[in-house]
Amino acid sequence: MRWDGWLFLILGWGFVFSLFVFCFAKILKKGK
Amino acid sequence: MNEREKWATRIGLVLAMAGNAVGLGNFLRFPRQAALNGGGAFMIPYFFALIFMGIPIMWIEWAMGRYGGQYGESTTAGQFNLMWKNKISKYFGSIGISIPLLFVIYYTYIESWCLAYAFFSLTQKYFGISDMSHMNSFLQQFQGVESGSFFSTVLIALIFWLITIALNVWIIGRGISGGIEKLAKIAMPLLLIFAVILVLRVFTIGTPDPNYPDRSVMNGLAYIWNPNFSQLTNFAVWLAAAGQIFFTLSIGTGSIQTYASYLKKDDDCALTGLSTSATNEFVEVILGGSIAIPISVAFFGLATTQAIAQQGSFDLGFVAMPIIFQKLPFGFFFGMLWFLLLFFAGITSSVALSSPFMALLKEKFNLKREKAALIVGLVLFSFGLPIVFFLKFGYLDQYDFWIGMLLLSLLALLETIVFVYGFSKPLVESSNIKPKIFAYLKYGLKNGWAELNKGAEIKIPKFFFFAMKYVVPFYLIVLFVGWLWQDLSSPKSMILLKGISGNELLFCWIARGTMIGIIIAIGILTKIAWREK
Repeated sequence: MRWDGWLFLILGWGFVFSLFVFCFAKILKKGK
Repeated sequence: MNEREKWATRIGLVLAMAGNAVGLGNFLRFPRQAALNGGGAFMIPYFFALIFMGIPIMWIEWAMGRYGGQYGESTTAGQFNLMWKNKISKYFGSIGISIPLLFVIYYTYIESWCLAYAFFSLTQKYFGISDMSHMNSFLQQFQGVESGSFFSTVLIALIFWLITIALNVWIIGRGISGGIEKLAKIAMPLLLIFAVILVLRVFTIGTPDPNYPDRSVMNGLAYIWNPNFSQLTNFAVWLAAAGQIFFTLSIGTGSIQTYASYLKKDDDCALTGLSTSATNEFVEVILGGSIAIPISVAFFGLATTQAIAQQGSFDLGFVAMPIIFQKLPFGFFFGMLWFLLLFFAGITSSVALSSPFMALLKEKFNLKREKAALIVGLVLFSFGLPIVFFLKFGYLDQYDFWIGMLLLSLLALLETIVFVYGFSKPLVESSNIKPKIFAYLKYGLKNGWAELNKGAEIKIPKFFFFAMKYVVPFYLIVLFVGWLWQDLSSPKSMILLKGISGNELLFCWIARGTMIGIIIAIGILTKIAWREK
């Protein structure tokens, strides 16, 4: 895989993973 | 009057909504679209469409559904009628009942193929078929498209389809918290576990045949992620990315509104809605993109995988994957996991797609839950039968094109207009601004935004206000017109029925007539329901 392929993979996965963690961390924090 | 149902737990709601969104498309359609449309560069229009169109529409649908639920309206027919005071609004809204119904009529058949193939994997029925053309024959004979030594009739497909309908009816007949929520709590974690197991298996395959060092999982990932920037100037790529966001989030089907109508009036929409989209994106981009295409490149090489991807999503899932599973130790087990995963993704979506029609029967015609579920089952069976028997005549393709593409975007456009502009009509009428269009521009989305932010557990950035008010309608019009243009200029135009002749033509028109008939019938039911009210 080319370096820019790795870059897009890391950015793509990073974005959706961060969004996922952000949302569920908030939900757990609210504790409902 | 039946007592109004509610979600029992928040996690159940999130899983059910995520189950609605996560479908076959996450595992079959997404990796194919990404690979065919510029690889990593596809992710630019993809995330652009997610942020500027997908998430705003998802929030509109959640807020619309919750608002309707306060007044006992679970379908877009009732919700449009509440938000846009007009005699005809409920008829526009009624397509939010007919679209998911038409969708689920053909979707349950595709879902049943997954169940059947899970069984075939476990019993190793397709084991021994080692080349694409024979595996394709296996699929075609199973579907009744051709007859041969694997299957002489469509009977087996019919049996699995009936089992799938029965399962759907049983689940929706048990209600929101007792059926759909329980299914989501079981099926979604299992789906995630199965997907993670498969991804780990794919990533540990490496280069399965040392004679072909190019055939590796890494090259498969490269096929999906290496960016081809020249594709970014291609309008079709932007259209494909927006289309993928549409299908993957299940927006424009009317099912999110029905699920959201079972929220309590101060329940949060903003964070919970975003969580379901985030779950869907996690499953699609990370898990969905890491199974079928990478493993296909590892076993068949890039050129063959490109040819398979060109053929279509089903060739990837139902022809290429069964061949690969035979090459793996415990392949029957991984095959079963793959097809069960697809089945779980399918059934959590099909129960959601059934829910608007179910709600209409239950809440407007005062039918008991079980009776309403049986009627849904009867409709799925009656209108699904021609799909099973006339598959080879392009019957299903007509449904998929008109419902799965054009009407989804039309409903999304209508609901955006109702939520942004129709809902603000009282403010416009009480203002002195003339002409009225300026008043609509000034007050548009004021009520909708307030409704969305009620009980919100996150602060929605103001940017989304402008996205909902201006960008989403523009995006949807471009998408709708773009799809029309793309089809009309294609040598295989579905609208103009190009390249279709003889018997096929007749069946395509029967499919179209049936779809129009169902849309009109739901419109009439809507009229009766409101007259009785």
